[in-house]
Amino acid sequence: MSNLLDVRNVSHSFRGLSVLRGVNFVAPQGQIVGLIGPNGAGKSTLFNIISGFLEPNQGQVFYQGEDISRLSVPQRSRRGLMRSFQTPQVFSHLTVRENLMAGCYKETGSGLIAGLSGMRGSRREQARMGDTADRACEIYGLTGVRDQLAGKLPGGQQRLVELARAAIGKPTLLCLDEPSSGLNTEEVNQLMAMLRRLNAEGVTILLVSHDMDLVAVAEHVHVLCFGEIIASGSFAAVKGDARVRDAYLGV
Amino acid sequence: MRIKRLVFAVVLVALWIAIPAFASRSVVDMLVWTGLYTIAGLGVSFLLGQCGIVSLAQSVFFGIGAYASAYCATQFGWMAPAGFLVGMVVSALIALAVGWPVLRLSGYFLALATLALAIIGHVMFLEWDWLTGGTLGIGGIPALDLFGFALNTPQRFYFLVWPLAVFVLCLHRNLLHSRTGFAIRAMRDAPAAAQVLGVDTRVLKVKMFILSAVLGALAGSLFAHYVTFVSVDSFGVDRAINFLLLAVLGGATTIFGTILGALFITVMPNVLSRFGDIHGVLFAASLILAVIFLPEGFGGALRRAFVRSEPKP
Repeated sequence: MSNLLDVRNVSHSFRGLSVLRGVNFVAPQGQIVGLIGPNGAGKSTLFNIISGFLEPNQGQVFYQGEDISRLSVPQRSRRGLMRSFQTPQVFSHLTVRENLMAGCYKETGSGLIAGLSGMRGSRREQARMGDTADRACEIYGLTGVRDQLAGKLPGGQQRLVELARAAIGKPTLLCLDEPSSGLNTEEVNQLMAMLRRLNAEGVTILLVSHDMDLVAVAEHVHVLCFGEIIASGSFAAVKGDARVRDAYLGV
Repeated sequence: MRIKRLVFAVVLVALWIAIPAFASRSVVDMLVWTGLYTIAGLGVSFLLGQCGIVSLAQSVFFGIGAYASAYCATQFGWMAPAGFLVGMVVSALIALAVGWPVLRLSGYFLALATLALAIIGHVMFLEWDWLTGGTLGIGGIPALDLFGFALNTPQRFYFLVWPLAVFVLCLHRNLLHSRTGFAIRAMRDAPAAAQVLGVDTRVLKVKMFILSAVLGALAGSLFAHYVTFVSVDSFGVDRAINFLLLAVLGGATTIFGTILGALFITVMPNVLSRFGDIHGVLFAASLILAVIFLPEGFGGALRRAFVRSEPKP
């Protein structure tokens, strides 16, 4: 099995405070990979480095065998690397449907001039975007709130909108930052179903979470503690590791 | 609902055509100014409401358009469209050169940077008097000529500026509902998430800034041919503030609200001028009242009224 994502020897520090120290880890193609660790372990920093919001002081990130360390966020997105945020980032003044239409950005191609002129190509494209959004609403159970402003929805549903929007962008790797935070049990179940569905469609998923029930769906788990990977393996193996219990699970 | 809207539109158009026939010259002149302000102000209001960019630099692009038309017409004797084109191209290039570094900023810092641009622009218009005529300005700019029909009165100019204004408003309305429009609004609401969807926010911001600058130049060129005289006094910071003011008053999130903002900016000072010396104070008071009671601007208030009048499904 080939590695979709390969993080090599990544170190990062903020004003002399070392946050990541020589982190190595891989995400094999088609798997759900978990990344856990106590607060302040450097998970978010690592996430920002993988998705391109932060350039590491040292080390490289390889994606599909290509060094993407210097690529911008949209460039990585075009290669299929997408992410969600710890607090859901919906486009709050757009409806749910419009949020999903915005998710079609990479799949469509009309430019500024075509948009201004309202040419038939641009209008047809809008219709296509609308159809895609409607279909996604049905698949992810958002039809009931389709025409509501996304910013007015409760946090759990915003999370689902964010995820559905990312799914429309045809990711090959989806990085999810604490996707179950703020969700009720029913919404967590909905989320898990969504993740399984995406994974079955071939999307590799990288999951950062505190929620052990959620991380249990991961086939492979990395444990990050004070900027270093202290354990890697199956969820059961990692759970049994003495260092992990000390650092994280025991508390 | 469709029929109601259609009737509304027909009445508006009929009214629009009829106005110059019975309104006084000064009223029509005011409406021409409203049209000019609408075109330049749309650039600012689109940036403000849809892209989340506060720009105080529109007076510079307005000036560039005006000077380009004035200079090309009086010095080279070129046809008017050439001056329009030069103004828009020069504005676009300057917007690109300035926007690329400056649009990395956001919020108040960006507003201050664009204000600095307005001030620098004003000083340059003044200092480069070999090009702009400085305080003396450039006079004798010929009136526009449309198919042998000289647009040398407010009544005639009215029929050029308003179709143009409505045309650019419609273009922007198209844009808003296109792929790029969604990207713009996504960028405004959550820039990081927009990037994740593949939107290169920096490039998009610069593109929108250029579009806004082109509108400013277009309005400036029209202005030059309308008043036939341009001088540096017309392109100061107060003009830039007026453009931003009309965007805020019009309600930047609605495109057609820009017209109402422009109307307020041109009509209100005129109406209040009959109160003598305190007209400035009264204008300021009217602004404060408008902002307090219509936080979404005139456009937002109007849209609300329309939505309320429509039966709930």
